[in-house]
Amino acid sequence: MGFLSRSLAAALATAALQGCVTATVDEMTFNEPVEGIGDRSVVILGRRHAADYDTEFDFIECIGDHIRSGDSSITVIDEVKFINEMYPWFEPRIAPMRSQDIDRLLEQQPVAERFDELKLEYMIWIDGKTVETNSSGSLTCAVGPGGAGCFGFGTWGNASDYEATIWNFTDRAEVGRVSAATSGQSYMPAVVVPIPIIAPVQGTACSSLGDQLLRYLSAEH
Amino acid sequence: MVVLSLASTTFVLNHWRPIASLLTLLTLLSGCGGKQVVVEGNFPKPLIEPLPITLGVAYPPAFANHEFFDEAKGRKESDWLVKTGAAQVEFWNIMLGGMFDQVVVLTSDEQLHKWEDKLDAVLVPVVDDLQYTIPLYTNVKVYEVWMRYRFRLVQASDIHDHEDGSLTYHPSQHIAEWTLTAYGKTPTAFLKSDEDAVNQAAVVALRDAGANFATSFGRVPEVAAWLDAAVEDAL
Repeated sequence: MGFLSRSLAAALATAALQGCVTATVDEMTFNEPVEGIGDRSVVILGRRHAADYDTEFDFIECIGDHIRSGDSSITVIDEVKFINEMYPWFEPRIAPMRSQDIDRLLEQQPVAERFDELKLEYMIWIDGKTVETNSSGSLTCAVGPGGAGCFGFGTWGNASDYEATIWNFTDRAEVGRVSAATSGQSYMPAVVVPIPIIAPVQGTACSSLGDQLLRYLSAEH
Repeated sequence: MVVLSLASTTFVLNHWRPIASLLTLLTLLSGCGGKQVVVEGNFPKPLIEPLPITLGVAYPPAFANHEFFDEAKGRKESDWLVKTGAAQVEFWNIMLGGMFDQVVVLTSDEQLHKWEDKLDAVLVPVVDDLQYTIPLYTNVKVYEVWMRYRFRLVQASDIHDHEDGSLTYHPSQHIAEWTLTAYGKTPTAFLKSDEDAVNQAAVVALRDAGANFATSFGRVPEVAAWLDAAVEDAL
């Protein structure tokens, strides 16, 4: 009982200590698979051709996990495994930028065979990043023979902006775009012990985008 | 054993402060020392229909032991030594092995003579240039590695053994010569050291070199002409 109440208190404290996040989601999709995608599979890939940023691998993994946990019947292929198995065709330099480029890829016999093996139905490209927008305040920590402690206050803002483009692999056509923009401010007051109040900006973008994609792909949602 | 153990504990207790101070000092000073990266990575086999070619590959010693040294220009900077040679050889062995029916890595004159009649040509790669940037230099939160290769495709009969045992050829005697660039970047990440990030950027650059090579090899006019003739012979 004591353990349960302590856990509940910890969970409540964690929830209470999360910063606020605002999210905007846009969706434009066509030809939704109303019956679901059956035994076909989906791969979610990040765009990494821009000069100043890469879409984060862990963000792509987060969206894949979100879809899998929402509907376990959907097979989401692991991004890194897919890129390695398909090497070099999904390296940033030569990765297909338009759905029509799939035909060019399929001219390669081993690539076409591998796609057949994977039963790929949808290829979802995610382009975007999470950045720190501002930061201020000061926090000082010191360590001495008697102990350690921090004092001060710091705050910083984060913003995420991601767009998912859905390609139907069988029709070689783009069938939708979903975007999520989130922002939030995190705080770190410290009187001896720093208390981080983190705004889950990227996590919210992941769940927002993941929910929209799940609604598109799953027959259950 | 117990006595030794206690003595050891006493020593640690009596001396932990100077040792801790020393460790702190070493940690602080480590920022001023040189940084070294021996590039390592897992490279996938390319998913390509192999060309019906038996290709020899001769890695010049400067390629197989390639390293890049950048001397610190100020107190805030560190010396950097980036060793790419082993990773280059490992990567190109896998890459070329997937692109051609048979690949023979030529390391000696005897081997060359054994294979000379069977080889359609010999590829000789050279790293012409390597540059890197870290966030300290650019204020952009990205680590980058850029490389320029020079490839020469040579007839096996034009390769000779050098006095020091290495294989050599006259640079003007080649079927084709072309350059190829490769670029790799990786963003900064929490708890990722400069060395890890430069290694990762170098691995991405090597993979990019492979992607560039796979798509541009047949487009080099001299290579295309040689390839047409060689494939026709093979069929």
